[in-house]
Amino acid sequence: MPSLIEKSACDGLLPVSAGGVTLSEPAPERITSVAPFAGKEAAAGKALKALGLGWPGPGTSIGGEGRLCLWTGRGQAFLIGAEPEGLAGIAALTDQSDAWARMRLEGGGAKAVLARLVPLDLGAGAFPVGRAARSGLGHMAMILHRSGAQSFEIMVFRSMAASAVHELHQAMTALAARAAL
Amino acid sequence: MRYSGLRVFTEGLFGNKGWKPAWRDPEPKREYDTIIIGGGGHGLSTAYYLAKNHGLTNIAVLEKGYLGGGNVGRNTTIVRANYFLPGNQEFYSHSLKLWEGLEAELNYNVMHSQRGLINLFHSDGQRDAFARRGNAMINQGDDAELLDREGVRRHLPYLDFEQTRFPIYGGLLHRRGGTARHDAVAWGYARGADQRGVDLIQNCEVTGIDIKDGRVTGVQTTRGAIKAKKVGIIVAGRSGQVAAMAGMRLPIESHILQAFVTEGLKPVIDHVVSFGMGHFYISQSDKGGLVFGGDLDFYASYAARGNLPMVEHVMEAGMTLMPMIGKAKVLRSWGGIMDMTPDGSPIIDKTDVGGLYIDCGWNYGGFKAVPASGWCMAHLMATGESHEVARRYRLDRFATGRLLDEEGTGSQHNLH
Amino acid sequence: MRITCPLCGERDRREFYYYGDAVYADRPAADAAPEAWDDYLHLRDNPAGETRDLWYHEMGCAAWIEVTRNTVTHEILATRLVAGREGKKAAAKGRGKKA
Ligand SMILES: Cc1cc2nc3c(=O)[nH]c(=O)nc-3n(C[C@H](O)[C@H](O)[C@H](O)COP(=O)(O)OP(=O)(O)OC[C@H]3O[C@@H](n4cnc5c(N)ncnc54)[C@H](O)[C@@H]3O)c2cc1C
Ligand SMILES: [Zn+2]
Repeated sequence: MPSLIEKSACDGLLPVSAGGVTLSEPAPERITSVAPFAGKEAAAGKALKALGLGWPGPGTSIGGEGRLCLWTGRGQAFLIGAEPEGLAGIAALTDQSDAWARMRLEGGGAKAVLARLVPLDLGAGAFPVGRAARSGLGHMAMILHRSGAQSFEIMVFRSMAASAVHELHQAMTALAARAAL
Repeated sequence: MRYSGLRVFTEGLFGNKGWKPAWRDPEPKREYDTIIIGGGGHGLSTAYYLAKNHGLTNIAVLEKGYLGGGNVGRNTTIVRANYFLPGNQEFYSHSLKLWEGLEAELNYNVMHSQRGLINLFHSDGQRDAFARRGNAMINQGDDAELLDREGVRRHLPYLDFEQTRFPIYGGLLHRRGGTARHDAVAWGYARGADQRGVDLIQNCEVTGIDIKDGRVTGVQTTRGAIKAKKVGIIVAGRSGQVAAMAGMRLPIESHILQAFVTEGLKPVIDHVVSFGMGHFYISQSDKGGLVFGGDLDFYASYAARGNLPMVEHVMEAGMTLMPMIGKAKVLRSWGGIMDMTPDGSPIIDKTDVGGLYIDCGWNYGGFKAVPASGWCMAHLMATGESHEVARRYRLDRFATGRLLDEEGTGSQHNLH
Repeated sequence: MRITCPLCGERDRREFYYYGDAVYADRPAADAAPEAWDDYLHLRDNPAGETRDLWYHEMGCAAWIEVTRNTVTHEILATRLVAGREGKKAAAKGRGKKA
């Protein structure tokens, strides 16, 4: 068995900065898709509570840095940064840790960068801290999470990492160039 | 009035004052032997061949708007015979032969231009599929040449041969493919039918179909009731609506297809080029405009206009294939309503109502079919028998499973 | 055209994949007569006006949505989750009505 080198999805691509905005890759964490079995929604919520989290409603998240439960679709949430303890038999669990490229976009212009690629209203009123959405980043399917007033977490399928970094970096540099005019 | 070069010349000398309207504008009579509902390309060619081939002239074509105001005047004018399945092959082959004699036949300049059509392919598998298609076309008696990458480059040096998403492996060249002037075809058939005594009645919408004891007896229109022994429904995107007047439910979902044209440019694109992987095709009109389009908007619609995502998609695909068009300015975009069938092939058949016939389901490929569809529909309405090149275009083929699914995408109306 | 996903809210049309008439949600029984399958797969009311069809929130939450909309104006009138429909019979009854 050859020994394979473990690499994160954006290894060698990030971080990049432009115009006061930084795109970086958070440290790899365990990601588990949690999909409660029919009739087991309440039990799944209880198990997540025991982990200090809970079942997030559509478009929301519970928890924060280091330990997060993120809504990702109908009857589905991602548990990030925690082991799915107490959920076996209650929900379908899939380890998706290596399936996603995760990126963090931070800085005063982060919202303006995303405005070039994401068809959502990301104003603080419509998309406050803690909000989650599935939408598009250019032509890519994306999970978006607002982790702070000026920071967003972006997840795309792992094979799209280079395209996503390219698109985001291009938007960052274009905005920086415009600001410098 | 016969058109000729001499005529154009002498009219020019006398201020062009001698031209007469190309067809009459008659009041509808109370009764005809045959009524054609729909004055598009197919309705007009059917009327023409009923008169020309079968000597039937007591005919009215009822058009709710103006002649040629439907899809026949909205399409991107590609004429080709590059089909793969028996059933489609012989039909489109027949149609292309009719096109090749159409100007002489109609004494009308339909600007048929056999400039060559190139279908690009981008993988080994696709090359095999096109090689088979080319063989099928040759077996049918039509023309096809398989070009490799360098062969394509000789014809189309301006394509982006470096792009990596869909690298160009080659193309299937169909030299007899090309374009024609869309509304001229409608006008040519209209004039020919009118000269043979057919009444072309515009601003006359059919609002009901009269049926007695299982036989059609006439139609209700916005210009009064008109009796007839035979009625043909030939209304393209409105087929489901009109067939419902006779209590029929059709295997059709209506969809929009958009098209675009740029400002006039010097000659630059000599062929018709189709880039199936990116959903894009293009040709240049005689006025110089680049005429191009892509795929359906994909949702059922009766609005003759589309939505922006498809506009964006078509532009992106065009830029991927030939970045040189990026500076051309788009002048207009528009849409037409397509009668999509679950196998992508048309219907020319009788219905369960005696004397009622239907010609529909042309999807987005019915312009090239205008001559043969009229030819075959006229044959069916005059003789009661399907024409041999259209015998597979049966209405019941969906129920019996004898589908003609050229693209192999299955029974979903918008996927063809 | 903007479609309201019952879970995600109002989104641009490009986030959705169109499948076809809402009859697709009422699949005939495996042993149904061939006519029922012909009806299900091929025949359509195809109304010019109000219609109901199925859309998939593909670049979103992956929910199947039944959309009531107008095929002439492109107006979206109502949406609901296919998973939340009261049941086949109610939907099938509604579908028969001519728009
Ligand atoms: C954007 C676009 C691009 C296309 N490109 C191509 C192409 O490159 N090559 C190709 O082969 N095909 C192409 N097509 C398809 C082709 O245009 C159609 O398949 C074909 O024109 C349909 O037949 P028609 O000409 O008889 O239709 P139409 O011209 O639409 O005729 C139907 C007529 O029926 C009338 N009508 C409807 N209801 C009633 C009523 N109740 N009473 C009276 N009259 C009624 C309508 O007003 C209309 O004039 C394209 C279509 C579009 C929209
Ligand atoms: Zn959604």
